[in-house]
Amino acid sequence: MPTRLFFLLLLLANCPTVDAEPVVVVAAQQATERLSREEVANIFLGRYRALASGLPAQPIDQPPASALRSAFYQQLVNKDTASINAYWSRLHFSGKATPPLQTTEENEVIRQLLSIPGGIAYVERKQVDQRMRIVFEFMPRVTHESRVNP
Amino acid sequence: MPTRFRIICLLAVSMAIARPAYADETAPAPPWPAIEFKGFGTLGVARSDSKDSQFVRDLSQPDGLGKHWSGKTDTMFGLQANLTLSPRTGAVMQGLVRYRYDGSWRPELNLAFLRHDLAPDFTLRAGRMGTEFYLQADARQVGYASTMLRPPADYFGPIVVSYFDGVDASLTGDTGYGLLRGKLFAGWAAEKTPVVKPHTWDLRGSRMAGAYLDYLNGPWQMRVSRSQIRFQHELPLDAVAGFPILTLAPELGIEGHHATYDSLGLIYDEGRLQVQGQVSSIHYDTSAYEDTRAGYVMLAYRVGPVTPYLSYSRSRSRAASLSTPTVPALQTAIRQFMAQTHSDQATYTLGARWDFQRNLALKAQLDMIRADRSSRFPQRYTQNDWDGSLNVFSLALDFVF
Repeated sequence: MPTRLFFLLLLLANCPTVDAEPVVVVAAQQATERLSREEVANIFLGRYRALASGLPAQPIDQPPASALRSAFYQQLVNKDTASINAYWSRLHFSGKATPPLQTTEENEVIRQLLSIPGGIAYVERKQVDQRMRIVFEFMPRVTHESRVNP
Repeated sequence: MPTRFRIICLLAVSMAIARPAYADETAPAPPWPAIEFKGFGTLGVARSDSKDSQFVRDLSQPDGLGKHWSGKTDTMFGLQANLTLSPRTGAVMQGLVRYRYDGSWRPELNLAFLRHDLAPDFTLRAGRMGTEFYLQADARQVGYASTMLRPPADYFGPIVVSYFDGVDASLTGDTGYGLLRGKLFAGWAAEKTPVVKPHTWDLRGSRMAGAYLDYLNGPWQMRVSRSQIRFQHELPLDAVAGFPILTLAPELGIEGHHATYDSLGLIYDEGRLQVQGQVSSIHYDTSAYEDTRAGYVMLAYRVGPVTPYLSYSRSRSRAASLSTPTVPALQTAIRQFMAQTHSDQATYTLGARWDFQRNLALKAQLDMIRADRSSRFPQRYTQNDWDGSLNVFSLALDFVF
Protein backbone atom coordinates (compact mmCIF):
# COMPACT_ATOMS: atom_id res chain seq x y z
CA MET A 1 0.00 0.00 0.00
CA PRO A 2 2.71 2.60 0.83
CA THR A 3 4.30 2.01 -2.60
CA ARG A 4 0.94 2.55 -4.24
CA LEU A 5 0.36 5.74 -2.27
CA PHE A 6 3.81 6.95 -3.24
CA PHE A 7 3.08 6.41 -6.93
CA LEU A 8 -0.27 8.09 -6.58
CA LEU A 9 1.39 11.10 -4.99
CA LEU A 10 4.01 11.12 -7.69
CA LEU A 11 1.34 10.94 -10.36
CA LEU A 12 -0.64 13.77 -8.82
CA ALA A 13 2.41 15.94 -8.30
CA ASN A 14 3.33 15.43 -11.92
CA CYS A 15 -0.05 16.01 -13.48
CA PRO A 16 0.25 19.74 -14.12
CA THR A 17 3.69 19.44 -15.64
CA VAL A 18 2.51 16.93 -18.24
CA ASP A 19 3.04 18.47 -21.65
CA ALA A 20 -0.46 19.91 -21.92
CA GLU A 21 -1.20 23.46 -22.90
CA PRO A 22 -4.94 23.97 -22.91
CA VAL A 23 -6.47 26.96 -24.68
CA VAL A 24 -10.17 27.80 -24.62
CA VAL A 25 -11.85 27.87 -28.04
CA VAL A 26 -15.21 28.43 -29.72
CA ALA A 27 -16.29 27.75 -33.29
CA ALA A 28 -14.94 30.49 -35.62
CA GLN A 29 -18.45 31.59 -36.67
CA GLN A 30 -19.46 32.34 -33.06
CA ALA A 31 -19.68 35.97 -31.97
CA THR A 32 -17.61 35.54 -28.79
CA GLU A 33 -14.21 37.18 -29.22
CA ARG A 34 -12.65 37.11 -25.79
CA LEU A 35 -13.47 35.72 -22.34
CA SER A 36 -11.86 36.49 -19.00
CA ARG A 37 -10.56 33.76 -16.71
CA GLU A 38 -13.51 34.40 -14.37
CA GLU A 39 -16.00 34.02 -17.26
CA VAL A 40 -14.38 30.77 -18.38
CA ALA A 41 -14.49 29.48 -14.78
CA ASN A 42 -18.17 30.49 -14.45
CA ILE A 43 -19.04 28.64 -17.66
CA PHE A 44 -17.13 25.45 -16.87
CA LEU A 45 -18.21 25.36 -13.22
CA GLY A 46 -21.87 25.84 -14.19
CA ARG A 47 -22.22 29.12 -12.31
CA TYR A 48 -23.15 31.44 -15.15
CA ARG A 49 -23.49 30.51 -18.78
CA ALA A 50 -25.00 33.52 -20.53
CA LEU A 51 -22.79 34.60 -23.44
CA ALA A 52 -22.76 38.22 -24.62
CA SER A 53 -24.57 37.00 -27.76
CA GLY A 54 -27.53 35.91 -25.63
CA LEU A 55 -26.93 32.25 -26.38
CA PRO A 56 -26.30 29.94 -23.48
CA ALA A 57 -22.72 28.67 -23.42
CA GLN A 58 -22.45 24.90 -23.68
CA PRO A 59 -19.12 23.80 -22.23
CA ILE A 60 -17.58 20.57 -23.47
CA ASP A 61 -15.19 18.56 -21.33
CA GLN A 62 -12.27 16.39 -22.40
CA PRO A 63 -12.56 12.69 -21.44
CA PRO A 64 -12.56 12.16 -17.64
CA ALA A 65 -9.10 10.60 -17.42
CA SER A 66 -7.35 12.92 -19.85
CA ALA A 67 -4.21 14.81 -18.81
CA LEU A 68 -5.49 17.87 -20.66
CA ARG A 69 -8.61 17.93 -18.48
CA SER A 70 -6.67 17.86 -15.25
CA ALA A 71 -4.21 20.48 -16.56
CA PHE A 72 -7.11 22.72 -17.56
CA TYR A 73 -8.86 22.71 -14.17
CA GLN A 74 -5.57 22.91 -12.32
CA GLN A 75 -4.66 26.07 -14.22
CA LEU A 76 -8.17 27.53 -14.22
CA VAL A 77 -9.17 27.12 -10.58
CA ASN A 78 -6.15 25.38 -9.04
CA LYS A 79 -8.16 22.20 -8.36
CA ASP A 80 -7.28 18.59 -9.01
CA THR A 81 -9.58 16.15 -10.78
CA ALA A 82 -10.97 14.60 -7.59
CA SER A 83 -11.98 18.03 -6.25
CA ILE A 84 -13.64 18.94 -9.54
CA ASN A 85 -15.55 15.62 -9.52
CA ALA A 86 -16.67 16.24 -5.92
CA TYR A 87 -17.79 19.74 -6.89
CA TRP A 88 -19.91 18.39 -9.73
CA SER A 89 -21.43 15.61 -7.69
CA ARG A 90 -22.92 18.25 -5.37
CA LEU A 91 -24.46 20.19 -8.26
CA HIS A 92 -25.55 17.12 -10.17
CA PHE A 93 -27.25 15.34 -7.27
CA SER A 94 -29.06 18.45 -6.12
CA GLY A 95 -30.21 18.97 -9.72
CA LYS A 96 -28.81 22.49 -9.81
CA ALA A 97 -26.63 22.66 -12.87
CA THR A 98 -25.55 20.38 -15.65
CA PRO A 99 -21.87 19.52 -15.88
CA PRO A 100 -20.04 20.22 -19.14
CA LEU A 101 -20.86 17.76 -21.90
CA GLN A 102 -18.86 14.65 -21.24
CA THR A 103 -16.96 13.16 -24.15
CA THR A 104 -15.41 9.73 -24.33
CA GLU A 105 -12.65 10.48 -26.77
CA GLU A 106 -10.58 13.46 -27.76
CA ASN A 107 -11.77 13.73 -31.39
CA GLU A 108 -15.33 14.06 -30.20
CA VAL A 109 -14.57 17.37 -28.47
CA ILE A 110 -13.87 19.28 -31.68
CA ARG A 111 -16.71 17.58 -33.54
CA GLN A 112 -19.17 18.72 -30.85
CA LEU A 113 -17.63 22.16 -30.56
CA LEU A 114 -18.36 22.79 -34.23
CA SER A 115 -21.89 21.40 -34.18
CA ILE A 116 -23.40 22.73 -30.93
CA PRO A 117 -24.63 26.33 -30.77
CA GLY A 118 -22.78 28.11 -27.97
CA GLY A 119 -20.24 25.30 -27.74
CA ILE A 120 -17.06 26.11 -25.85
CA ALA A 121 -14.16 23.76 -25.24
CA TYR A 122 -10.52 23.60 -24.26
CA VAL A 123 -8.07 21.86 -26.56
CA GLU A 124 -4.32 21.51 -26.97
CA ARG A 125 -2.87 24.65 -28.51
CA LYS A 126 -1.51 22.59 -31.40
CA GLN A 127 -5.01 21.27 -32.18
CA VAL A 128 -6.35 24.76 -32.97
CA ASP A 129 -7.10 25.35 -36.65
CA GLN A 130 -9.00 27.92 -38.75
CA ARG A 131 -12.40 26.43 -37.75
CA MET A 132 -11.87 27.65 -34.17
CA ARG A 133 -11.12 30.87 -32.35
CA ILE A 134 -9.08 31.10 -29.14
CA VAL A 135 -11.13 33.10 -26.62
CA PHE A 136 -8.93 32.55 -23.59
CA GLU A 137 -5.39 31.39 -22.93
CA PHE A 138 -3.53 31.02 -19.69
CA MET A 139 -0.70 33.34 -18.72
CA PRO A 140 2.84 32.07 -19.28
CA ARG A 141 2.99 28.78 -17.47
CA VAL A 142 5.78 29.53 -15.03
CA THR A 143 3.53 31.43 -12.63
CA HIS A 144 1.01 28.60 -12.42
CA GLU A 145 3.56 25.89 -12.00
CA SER A 146 5.10 27.74 -9.13
CA ARG A 147 1.64 27.92 -7.55
CA VAL A 148 0.73 24.35 -8.21
CA ASN A 149 4.05 22.76 -7.39
CA PRO A 150 5.70 24.76 -4.69
CA MET B 1 -51.01 15.66 -0.21
CA PRO B 2 -50.70 13.32 -3.19
CA THR B 3 -53.17 15.61 -4.96
CA ARG B 4 -50.88 18.55 -4.40
CA PHE B 5 -47.95 16.61 -5.74
CA ARG B 6 -50.01 15.66 -8.78
CA ILE B 7 -50.90 19.30 -9.39
CA ILE B 8 -47.26 20.26 -9.28
CA CYS B 9 -46.35 17.44 -11.64
CA LEU B 10 -49.04 18.55 -14.06
CA LEU B 11 -47.80 22.11 -13.81
CA ALA B 12 -44.28 20.96 -14.45
CA VAL B 13 -45.26 18.86 -17.43
CA SER B 14 -47.29 21.65 -18.99
CA MET B 15 -44.36 23.98 -18.45
CA ALA B 16 -42.21 21.60 -20.41
CA ILE B 17 -44.70 21.20 -23.24
CA ALA B 18 -45.54 24.87 -23.52
CA ARG B 19 -41.92 25.93 -23.72
CA PRO B 20 -41.45 29.02 -25.84
CA ALA B 21 -39.72 28.83 -29.22
CA TYR B 22 -36.04 29.63 -29.29
CA ALA B 23 -33.70 30.88 -31.93
CA ASP B 24 -31.84 27.61 -31.77
CA GLU B 25 -34.97 25.48 -32.08
CA THR B 26 -34.24 24.91 -35.77
CA ALA B 27 -30.78 23.60 -35.04
CA PRO B 28 -30.31 19.85 -35.48
CA ALA B 29 -30.97 17.77 -32.38
CA PRO B 30 -27.91 18.06 -30.18
CA PRO B 31 -26.02 14.91 -29.29
CA TRP B 32 -27.17 15.07 -25.66
CA PRO B 33 -28.00 11.78 -24.11
CA ALA B 34 -31.75 11.61 -23.73
CA ILE B 35 -31.55 9.90 -20.38
CA GLU B 36 -28.62 9.49 -18.05
CA PHE B 37 -28.36 7.47 -14.84
CA LYS B 38 -25.96 8.32 -12.06
CA GLY B 39 -25.74 7.30 -8.46
CA PHE B 40 -24.08 8.03 -5.17
CA GLY B 41 -23.76 6.37 -1.85
CA THR B 42 -21.99 5.97 1.43
CA LEU B 43 -21.09 2.87 3.36
CA GLY B 44 -20.51 4.15 6.84
CA VAL B 45 -20.00 2.73 10.29
CA ALA B 46 -19.88 4.70 13.50
CA ARG B 47 -20.05 4.27 17.25
CA SER B 48 -19.79 6.45 20.32
CA ASP B 49 -18.30 5.97 23.75
CA SER B 50 -21.47 6.49 25.74
CA LYS B 51 -24.94 5.03 25.87
CA ASP B 52 -26.28 7.99 27.82
CA SER B 53 -26.91 10.10 24.72
CA GLN B 54 -27.51 8.82 21.21
CA PHE B 55 -25.73 10.65 18.40
CA VAL B 56 -27.80 11.12 15.23
CA ARG B 57 -26.82 12.55 11.87
CA ASP B 58 -29.82 14.85 12.14
CA LEU B 59 -33.13 14.78 13.97
CA SER B 60 -34.86 12.99 11.07
CA GLN B 61 -33.34 9.79 12.50
CA PRO B 62 -35.44 8.14 15.20
CA ASP B 63 -32.49 6.84 17.22
CA GLY B 64 -28.75 6.98 17.13
CA LEU B 65 -25.44 5.50 18.08
CA GLY B 66 -24.42 3.59 21.15
CA LYS B 67 -21.20 1.83 22.06
CA HIS B 68 -21.51 -0.69 19.22
CA TRP B 69 -20.57 -0.07 15.60
CA SER B 70 -23.61 0.71 13.50
CA GLY B 71 -24.16 1.47 9.83
CA LYS B 72 -27.46 3.28 10.17
CA THR B 73 -26.23 6.82 10.81
CA ASP B 74 -24.36 7.49 7.58
CA THR B 75 -25.08 4.68 5.14
CA MET B 76 -27.18 5.68 2.14
CA PHE B 77 -27.67 4.97 -1.50
CA GLY B 78 -29.11 7.21 -4.20
CA LEU B 79 -29.91 6.67 -7.83
CA GLN B 80 -30.71 9.54 -10.15
CA ALA B 81 -32.08 9.76 -13.68
CA ASN B 82 -31.60 12.94 -15.68
CA LEU B 83 -33.83 13.29 -18.66
CA THR B 84 -32.93 15.92 -21.25
CA LEU B 85 -35.99 17.09 -23.14
CA SER B 86 -34.40 20.02 -24.93
CA PRO B 87 -31.23 22.05 -24.48
CA ARG B 88 -33.14 24.14 -21.95
CA THR B 89 -35.52 21.67 -20.37
CA GLY B 90 -34.77 18.64 -18.29
CA ALA B 91 -36.26 16.39 -15.64
CA VAL B 92 -34.55 14.89 -12.62
CA MET B 93 -35.69 11.94 -10.52
CA GLN B 94 -33.80 10.62 -7.57
CA GLY B 95 -34.56 7.68 -5.32
CA LEU B 96 -32.86 7.48 -1.94
CA VAL B 97 -32.41 4.69 0.56
CA ARG B 98 -31.41 5.75 4.06
CA TYR B 99 -32.31 5.17 7.69
CA ARG B 100 -35.76 6.75 7.94
CA TYR B 101 -37.89 8.46 10.57
CA ASP B 102 -39.81 5.19 11.12
CA GLY B 103 -36.69 3.11 11.58
CA SER B 104 -37.07 1.48 8.18
CA TRP B 105 -34.91 1.68 5.06
CA ARG B 106 -37.81 2.03 2.65
CA PRO B 107 -36.71 3.86 -0.54
CA GLU B 108 -38.18 7.30 -1.00
CA LEU B 109 -38.51 9.72 -3.86
CA ASN B 110 -36.03 12.40 -2.87
CA LEU B 111 -36.16 14.50 -6.03
CA ALA B 112 -38.64 14.63 -8.90
CA PHE B 113 -38.75 17.90 -10.74
CA LEU B 114 -38.77 19.57 -14.10
CA ARG B 115 -36.23 22.23 -14.78
CA HIS B 116 -36.51 24.86 -17.45
CA ASP B 117 -34.10 27.68 -18.34
CA LEU B 118 -36.25 30.60 -19.49
CA ALA B 119 -32.93 32.28 -20.22
CA PRO B 120 -29.40 31.04 -19.54
CA ASP B 121 -29.44 33.01 -16.28
CA PHE B 122 -33.06 32.42 -15.27
CA THR B 123 -34.14 28.94 -14.20
CA LEU B 124 -37.50 27.64 -13.05
CA ARG B 125 -38.07 24.29 -11.38
CA ALA B 126 -41.26 22.57 -10.31
CA GLY B 127 -41.81 19.30 -8.48
CA ARG B 128 -40.00 17.75 -5.54
CA MET B 129 -36.74 19.48 -4.69
CA GLY B 130 -34.13 19.55 -1.94
CA THR B 131 -34.53 22.17 0.78
CA GLU B 132 -31.93 24.89 0.87
CA PHE B 133 -32.45 26.41 4.27
CA TYR B 134 -28.68 26.78 4.61
CA LEU B 135 -25.70 26.92 2.30
CA GLN B 136 -24.82 23.35 1.22
CA ALA B 137 -27.97 21.95 2.79
CA ASP B 138 -29.42 20.51 -0.40
CA ALA B 139 -26.86 17.77 -1.06
CA ARG B 140 -26.37 16.65 2.54
CA GLN B 141 -26.83 13.01 1.61
CA VAL B 142 -24.08 13.04 -1.01
CA GLY B 143 -21.01 12.24 1.06
CA TYR B 144 -18.68 12.30 -1.93
CA ALA B 145 -19.50 15.97 -2.51
CA SER B 146 -18.26 17.05 0.91
CA THR B 147 -14.92 17.10 2.60
CA MET B 148 -16.36 16.16 5.99
CA LEU B 149 -17.82 12.74 6.68
CA ARG B 150 -21.20 14.29 7.52
CA PRO B 151 -22.55 17.83 7.87
CA PRO B 152 -21.91 19.25 11.38
CA ALA B 153 -24.84 17.99 13.47
CA ASP B 154 -24.92 21.02 15.77
CA TYR B 155 -25.68 23.12 12.72
CA PHE B 156 -27.65 20.89 10.33
CA GLY B 157 -29.17 18.58 12.94
CA PRO B 158 -32.40 20.55 13.50
CA ILE B 159 -33.21 20.54 9.77
CA VAL B 160 -35.57 17.58 9.46
CA VAL B 161 -37.08 18.59 6.13
CA SER B 162 -34.93 17.28 3.31
CA TYR B 163 -37.27 17.94 0.41
CA PHE B 164 -40.48 19.77 -0.47
CA ASP B 165 -43.06 19.78 -3.26
CA GLY B 166 -43.30 23.13 -4.97
CA VAL B 167 -41.57 25.57 -7.27
CA ASP B 168 -38.41 27.61 -7.26
CA ALA B 169 -36.90 30.28 -9.46
CA SER B 170 -33.31 31.44 -9.61
CA LEU B 171 -31.83 34.42 -11.36
CA THR B 172 -28.10 34.98 -11.79
CA GLY B 173 -26.38 38.20 -12.82
CA ASP B 174 -22.78 39.13 -13.50
CA THR B 175 -21.97 42.37 -11.66
CA GLY B 176 -18.49 42.57 -13.13
CA TYR B 177 -17.22 42.09 -9.57
CA GLY B 178 -18.59 38.62 -9.11
CA LEU B 179 -21.92 36.88 -9.61
CA LEU B 180 -25.10 37.55 -7.72
CA ARG B 181 -27.71 34.81 -7.59
CA GLY B 182 -31.11 35.14 -6.04
CA LYS B 183 -33.47 32.26 -5.45
CA LEU B 184 -37.05 32.07 -4.27
CA PHE B 185 -38.87 28.88 -3.38
CA ALA B 186 -42.32 27.95 -2.14
CA GLY B 187 -44.16 24.72 -1.57
CA TRP B 188 -45.22 22.14 0.97
CA ALA B 189 -43.24 19.80 3.16
CA ALA B 190 -43.78 16.15 2.27
CA GLU B 191 -42.19 14.17 5.10
CA LYS B 192 -42.83 12.88 8.57
CA THR B 193 -40.32 13.17 11.34
CA PRO B 194 -39.73 11.13 14.50
CA VAL B 195 -40.47 12.50 17.97
CA VAL B 196 -40.11 9.85 20.68
CA LYS B 197 -40.68 6.27 19.59
CA PRO B 198 -43.26 5.24 18.47
CA HIS B 199 -44.59 8.77 17.94
CA THR B 200 -43.99 10.69 14.74
CA TRP B 201 -44.91 14.18 13.67
CA ASP B 202 -46.56 14.73 10.33
CA LEU B 203 -44.97 17.65 8.48
CA ARG B 204 -46.78 16.92 5.25
CA GLY B 205 -48.73 19.83 3.88
CA SER B 206 -46.80 22.36 5.97
CA ARG B 207 -46.34 25.46 3.86
CA MET B 208 -42.76 26.48 3.22
CA ALA B 209 -41.20 29.47 1.51
CA GLY B 210 -37.81 31.05 1.44
CA ALA B 211 -35.20 33.01 -0.39
CA TYR B 212 -31.48 33.35 -0.56
CA LEU B 213 -28.92 35.60 -2.12
CA ASP B 214 -25.54 34.23 -3.19
CA TYR B 215 -22.44 36.15 -4.02
CA LEU B 216 -19.80 34.22 -5.93
CA ASN B 217 -16.41 35.61 -6.80
CA GLY B 218 -13.45 33.38 -7.64
CA PRO B 219 -12.84 31.20 -4.58
CA TRP B 220 -15.45 33.05 -2.50
CA GLN B 221 -19.07 32.17 -1.97
CA MET B 222 -21.33 33.99 0.43
CA ARG B 223 -24.99 33.35 1.17
CA VAL B 224 -27.68 35.03 3.22
CA SER B 225 -30.95 33.17 3.48
CA ARG B 226 -34.29 33.12 5.19
CA SER B 227 -36.81 30.30 5.12
CA GLN B 228 -40.06 29.80 6.89
CA ILE B 229 -42.33 26.87 7.50
CA ARG B 230 -45.92 26.95 8.79
CA PHE B 231 -46.72 23.70 10.56
CA GLN B 232 -49.88 22.03 9.39
CA HIS B 233 -50.22 19.40 12.12
CA GLU B 234 -49.95 19.34 15.88
CA LEU B 235 -47.04 17.59 17.60
CA PRO B 236 -48.20 14.44 19.47
CA LEU B 237 -47.27 16.17 22.74
CA ASP B 238 -50.04 14.74 24.95
CA ALA B 239 -49.12 11.22 23.95
CA VAL B 240 -45.41 11.83 24.49
CA ALA B 241 -45.83 13.65 27.82
CA GLY B 242 -48.41 11.20 29.15
CA PHE B 243 -50.64 14.02 30.43
CA PRO B 244 -52.79 16.63 28.62
CA ILE B 245 -49.94 19.09 28.36
CA LEU B 246 -51.48 20.98 25.43
CA THR B 247 -54.55 21.82 27.50
CA LEU B 248 -52.42 22.94 30.45
CA ALA B 249 -49.99 24.95 28.35
CA PRO B 250 -51.63 25.87 25.03
CA GLU B 251 -48.58 27.95 24.09
CA LEU B 252 -46.91 24.63 23.24
CA GLY B 253 -49.28 24.21 20.32
CA ILE B 254 -47.48 24.26 16.98
CA GLU B 255 -50.25 23.78 14.45
CA GLY B 256 -50.57 26.99 12.46
CA HIS B 257 -47.34 28.33 13.95
CA HIS B 258 -44.08 29.11 12.23
CA ALA B 259 -40.40 28.37 12.38
CA THR B 260 -38.07 30.87 10.73
CA TYR B 261 -34.54 29.96 9.70
CA ASP B 262 -32.00 32.72 9.07
CA SER B 263 -28.48 31.99 8.03
CA LEU B 264 -25.27 33.49 6.79
CA GLY B 265 -22.65 31.29 5.17
CA LEU B 266 -19.20 31.87 3.77
CA ILE B 267 -16.92 29.56 1.80
CA TYR B 268 -13.36 30.17 0.68
CA ASP B 269 -12.18 27.39 -1.58
CA GLU B 270 -8.89 27.94 -3.36
CA GLY B 271 -6.52 25.27 -4.52
CA ARG B 272 -5.64 23.09 -1.55
CA LEU B 273 -7.29 25.26 1.05
CA GLN B 274 -10.95 25.16 1.99
CA VAL B 275 -12.52 27.27 4.72
CA GLN B 276 -16.22 27.26 5.54
CA GLY B 277 -18.21 29.06 8.16
CA GLN B 278 -21.91 29.53 8.84
CA VAL B 279 -24.13 30.98 11.52
CA SER B 280 -27.86 30.50 11.86
CA SER B 281 -30.80 31.39 14.00
CA ILE B 282 -34.02 29.40 14.28
CA HIS B 283 -36.99 31.22 15.72
CA TYR B 284 -40.35 29.65 16.65
CA ASP B 285 -43.51 31.61 17.33
CA THR B 286 -44.58 28.82 19.68
CA SER B 287 -43.03 27.44 22.85
CA ALA B 288 -42.97 23.88 21.48
CA TYR B 289 -39.31 24.24 20.56
CA GLU B 290 -36.61 26.51 21.85
CA ASP B 291 -35.14 29.26 19.68
CA THR B 292 -31.68 28.14 18.65
CA ARG B 293 -28.51 29.76 17.45
CA ALA B 294 -25.79 27.68 15.87
CA GLY B 295 -22.61 28.04 13.90
CA TYR B 296 -19.58 26.18 12.64
CA VAL B 297 -16.20 26.71 11.04
CA MET B 298 -14.34 24.11 9.03
CA LEU B 299 -10.78 24.20 7.78
CA ALA B 300 -9.35 21.68 5.29
CA TYR B 301 -6.04 21.49 3.51
CA ARG B 302 -5.36 19.05 0.73
CA VAL B 303 -2.05 17.20 0.62
CA GLY B 304 -1.89 15.01 -2.48
CA PRO B 305 -4.88 12.66 -2.33
CA VAL B 306 -5.45 13.24 1.40
CA THR B 307 -7.42 16.13 2.88
CA PRO B 308 -7.19 16.48 6.64
CA TYR B 309 -9.78 18.75 8.22
CA LEU B 310 -10.79 20.35 11.50
CA SER B 311 -14.08 21.80 12.53
CA TYR B 312 -15.73 23.45 15.47
CA SER B 313 -19.48 23.79 15.85
CA ARG B 314 -21.67 25.28 18.52
CA SER B 315 -25.37 25.19 19.24
CA ARG B 316 -27.27 26.97 21.95
CA SER B 317 -30.96 27.46 22.59
CA ARG B 318 -32.95 29.80 24.78
CA ALA B 319 -35.62 28.43 27.08
CA ALA B 320 -39.10 29.02 25.66
CA SER B 321 -41.59 31.02 27.66
CA LEU B 322 -44.40 29.44 29.63
CA SER B 323 -47.20 31.95 30.06
CA THR B 324 -50.30 30.06 31.15
CA PRO B 325 -50.58 30.22 34.97
CA THR B 326 -50.75 26.84 36.66
CA VAL B 327 -49.90 25.19 39.97
CA PRO B 328 -46.13 24.97 40.70
CA ALA B 329 -45.97 21.16 40.59
CA LEU B 330 -47.51 21.07 37.13
CA GLN B 331 -45.36 23.96 36.02
CA THR B 332 -42.23 21.97 36.95
CA ALA B 333 -43.47 18.98 34.99
CA ILE B 334 -44.20 21.13 31.95
CA ARG B 335 -40.82 22.87 32.24
CA GLN B 336 -39.05 19.51 32.43
CA PHE B 337 -40.87 18.40 29.33
CA MET B 338 -39.96 21.55 27.43
CA ALA B 339 -36.30 21.21 28.43
CA GLN B 340 -36.12 18.07 26.25
CA THR B 341 -35.39 20.26 23.23
CA HIS B 342 -32.74 22.36 24.95
CA SER B 343 -29.36 22.67 23.32
CA ASP B 344 -26.09 23.99 24.72
CA GLN B 345 -23.09 22.22 23.29
CA ALA B 346 -20.00 22.38 21.12
CA THR B 347 -18.35 19.77 18.91
CA TYR B 348 -14.67 19.54 18.05
CA THR B 349 -14.15 17.48 14.93
CA LEU B 350 -11.06 16.17 13.23
CA GLY B 351 -10.88 13.89 10.27
CA ALA B 352 -9.42 13.12 6.89
CA ARG B 353 -10.70 12.40 3.43
CA TRP B 354 -8.62 10.17 1.18
CA ASP B 355 -9.38 10.24 -2.55
CA PHE B 356 -7.69 6.92 -3.20
CA GLN B 357 -9.39 6.20 -6.52
CA ARG B 358 -11.48 8.02 -9.04
CA ASN B 359 -15.04 8.47 -7.70
CA LEU B 360 -14.16 6.87 -4.36
CA ALA B 361 -13.27 8.55 -1.11
CA LEU B 362 -12.50 7.04 2.27
CA LYS B 363 -13.07 9.14 5.38
CA ALA B 364 -12.32 8.81 9.06
CA GLN B 365 -13.67 11.26 11.61
CA LEU B 366 -13.66 11.88 15.32
CA ASP B 367 -16.31 14.12 16.88
CA MET B 368 -15.89 15.26 20.45
CA ILE B 369 -19.13 16.68 21.79
CA ARG B 370 -18.76 18.75 24.92
CA ALA B 371 -22.08 19.84 26.30
CA ASP B 372 -23.70 21.43 29.26
CA ARG B 373 -25.45 18.64 31.13
CA SER B 374 -28.77 20.24 30.23
CA SER B 375 -28.15 19.84 26.49
CA ARG B 376 -30.51 17.41 24.74
CA PHE B 377 -30.69 18.47 21.07
CA PRO B 378 -29.54 17.50 18.52
CA GLN B 379 -28.98 14.07 20.08
CA ARG B 380 -31.66 11.58 21.00
CA TYR B 381 -32.57 9.74 24.20
CA THR B 382 -30.20 11.63 26.46
CA GLN B 383 -30.28 10.25 30.00
CA ASN B 384 -30.50 12.58 32.97
CA ASP B 385 -27.15 11.36 34.30
CA TRP B 386 -25.26 12.05 31.06
CA ASP B 387 -22.06 13.89 31.94
CA GLY B 388 -22.15 16.06 28.79
CA SER B 389 -19.31 14.33 26.99
CA LEU B 390 -19.77 12.20 23.90
CA ASN B 391 -17.11 11.03 21.45
CA VAL B 392 -18.15 9.65 18.07
CA PHE B 393 -15.87 7.54 15.87
CA SER B 394 -16.81 7.18 12.20
CA LEU B 395 -15.54 5.57 9.03
CA ALA B 396 -17.12 6.00 5.62
CA LEU B 397 -16.60 5.01 2.03
CA ASP B 398 -18.24 7.51 -0.35
CA PHE B 399 -18.77 6.74 -3.98
CA VAL B 400 -20.38 8.15 -7.10
CA PHE B 401 -20.96 6.30 -10.33
